[in-house]
Amino acid sequence: MKAVVLDGIVIGLAFGLLGVGMTLVYGLGGVINLAYGQIVVLGAIIASLVLERGHSQAFAAAVGVLAAIGVSLLLDLTLLRAVYRRHGEERILLGLLLTLGAAFVIGGLLTARYPTGALFISITGEPVSILGVPMSRGSIWASVIALAVGGVLLLFLGLTTFGRGLRSVIQDETGARLVGINPSFVRTVVFALSGALAGVVAVTQSMNGPLEVNKGFELTTFALIVTVVGGLGSVAGAFLAGLLLGVVNALSAHYIGQYFTSVILLGVAALTILVRPRGLLGR
Amino acid sequence: MSETSERAGSAQERGQRLSVVVGRALLPIAVVAAILAVLPPFWFEDSPYTTSLAVKALVFASYGIGFNLIFGCTNQLFLCVGALAGIGGYGTAITADRSSLPMAAAIAAGTAGAALIGGLLSWIAVRRSLGVIFTGIVTLVFSLAFANFLLGQRDLTGSETGLVITGIPSGIADDQVGGYYLFAGVVVGFLLVFRVLQLSHVGWAFRGLRDDEMAAELAGVDVARYRIYAATVGSAMIGLAGALYAYSSGFVSPDTYAFQNVDVRVLVLVAFGGLGALVGPVIGAGVLAVVDERLATAQGQFLDFDVIQLREALYGVFVIAIFLGFRRGVVPAVVTLARRIGGRRRRETGPPRPAPSER
Repeated sequence: MKAVVLDGIVIGLAFGLLGVGMTLVYGLGGVINLAYGQIVVLGAIIASLVLERGHSQAFAAAVGVLAAIGVSLLLDLTLLRAVYRRHGEERILLGLLLTLGAAFVIGGLLTARYPTGALFISITGEPVSILGVPMSRGSIWASVIALAVGGVLLLFLGLTTFGRGLRSVIQDETGARLVGINPSFVRTVVFALSGALAGVVAVTQSMNGPLEVNKGFELTTFALIVTVVGGLGSVAGAFLAGLLLGVVNALSAHYIGQYFTSVILLGVAALTILVRPRGLLGR
Repeated sequence: MSETSERAGSAQERGQRLSVVVGRALLPIAVVAAILAVLPPFWFEDSPYTTSLAVKALVFASYGIGFNLIFGCTNQLFLCVGALAGIGGYGTAITADRSSLPMAAAIAAGTAGAALIGGLLSWIAVRRSLGVIFTGIVTLVFSLAFANFLLGQRDLTGSETGLVITGIPSGIADDQVGGYYLFAGVVVGFLLVFRVLQLSHVGWAFRGLRDDEMAAELAGVDVARYRIYAATVGSAMIGLAGALYAYSSGFVSPDTYAFQNVDVRVLVLVAFGGLGALVGPVIGAGVLAVVDERLATAQGQFLDFDVIQLREALYGVFVIAIFLGFRRGVVPAVVTLARRIGGRRRRETGPPRPAPSER
């Protein structure tokens, strides 16, 4: 039981980062990025290619993160510019459709080129005992990285001028423009940031086991559930929901069955929408 | 038709006018039916390969009409067409397998299941008018949940291998012309339902809520109710098509109804034909069938890729191009262009719908 919960927390931290990446972009411009999982996979596959060339794991991970940032910037500067020109419901719809198209382009190209591609960063060493449960080094590293990245992110959003500007755009786009903040610049930076988070998740996920090329759709769905449960646009909510759902995920996978967990997660998301549409910590 | 009948003089005149209106409303459907009826002898004769291709195109046209009702008419982005069709297909297969019910009852059960689930998803998403984003999220998550459910319930669904359906009447297998005519009939039937809905008070509500949801709500249209209504009917169509497809192909497998194989394709073909347009999905399905056939025979290499493997990416490009470039569909855009060139110099309404919110 204790081991299962700890495993859930390890997964949950990754879920949390994914949810934050998705929720930030939504909060800023109303775009739900349905290509998010595919961006994670892209980072992973690029990193695995670098690993194959015989470079070090740290270098491969860095290149993977950079690749995820790169493709995010590309998406932002091309497709999303057209999306942000529209407003209200129409923007949301176009954002969903175009990123879905992008998901199929990225996923389709990757599976066509590397049908068996996968990233696996193996970290050797004796398991470390935590609360009496032996945890693999990979899990520990993944958790530490996720916590560090999450902490830095929260500090960045809370303390820096850019973070304040970002929150002002979330609250009131026109108002932010009036005080001299360029929403489109802020959005580009945040989209790149969410790409970086995707790259980090690609790296941490592959420390527990191989991250395969066809996982994109599943990762997007997990990020969506976390975002809904945490509250669309709420960063802290996404972290909390990620942890919570990670534990739920691990428990139901252990006691009910792996394949049934997504049904349970769907139930949690549906229930959240019905009972508390704003999510756990939504505005 | 109530507004015409008020002004009509005699009963005879009224009858005449009615038949003109009905005739005009049914004309596109009659044209589609006629083309579908004469296609087999002209096009594929005895080739089983081409016949199964045509059946597949008709199945997707049927999915497309259902999706068009949900997305095109009421703006609900249902990203679970494959899953709904799968409920129809698996529901039918399992009912037929586990009970001694006749085929028609099993199909009815599968269809009802899809309608119920579709309505339920819509109910969750439109409650408190949460809008398009929740519909997209809920249905996408549902797609994944359904796919995992199929893989997980090995005893019930046969996991990856799927289920073989027994007791199929001969003649509707998908490489036979009987199957073709079955689905041609389904397409025409769906088009009729779609048309009737368009002409009834439901159609007025659909148009109102699509153009301006807020205004429709203020005018007394119960937007949430009509959305759920559209989702239920559309899902029933998708479920029925999925169930019949299961019967005609003789087995069901997760691949038949996978998100990657169904949803993008349906989105592309409906958007291509024009959202909300009556015969749009049929045209879109026809064009995609031709594209698919060309891709299958191309078998070349393109930048290191096998052309056939690029299909998924290609559909993604289609989605992006269509929604960026032709908001109202490629076919309507071409029709507008043809009209302009054709010298009908009546003042056009300009480029379709210059989004009012655009600055």
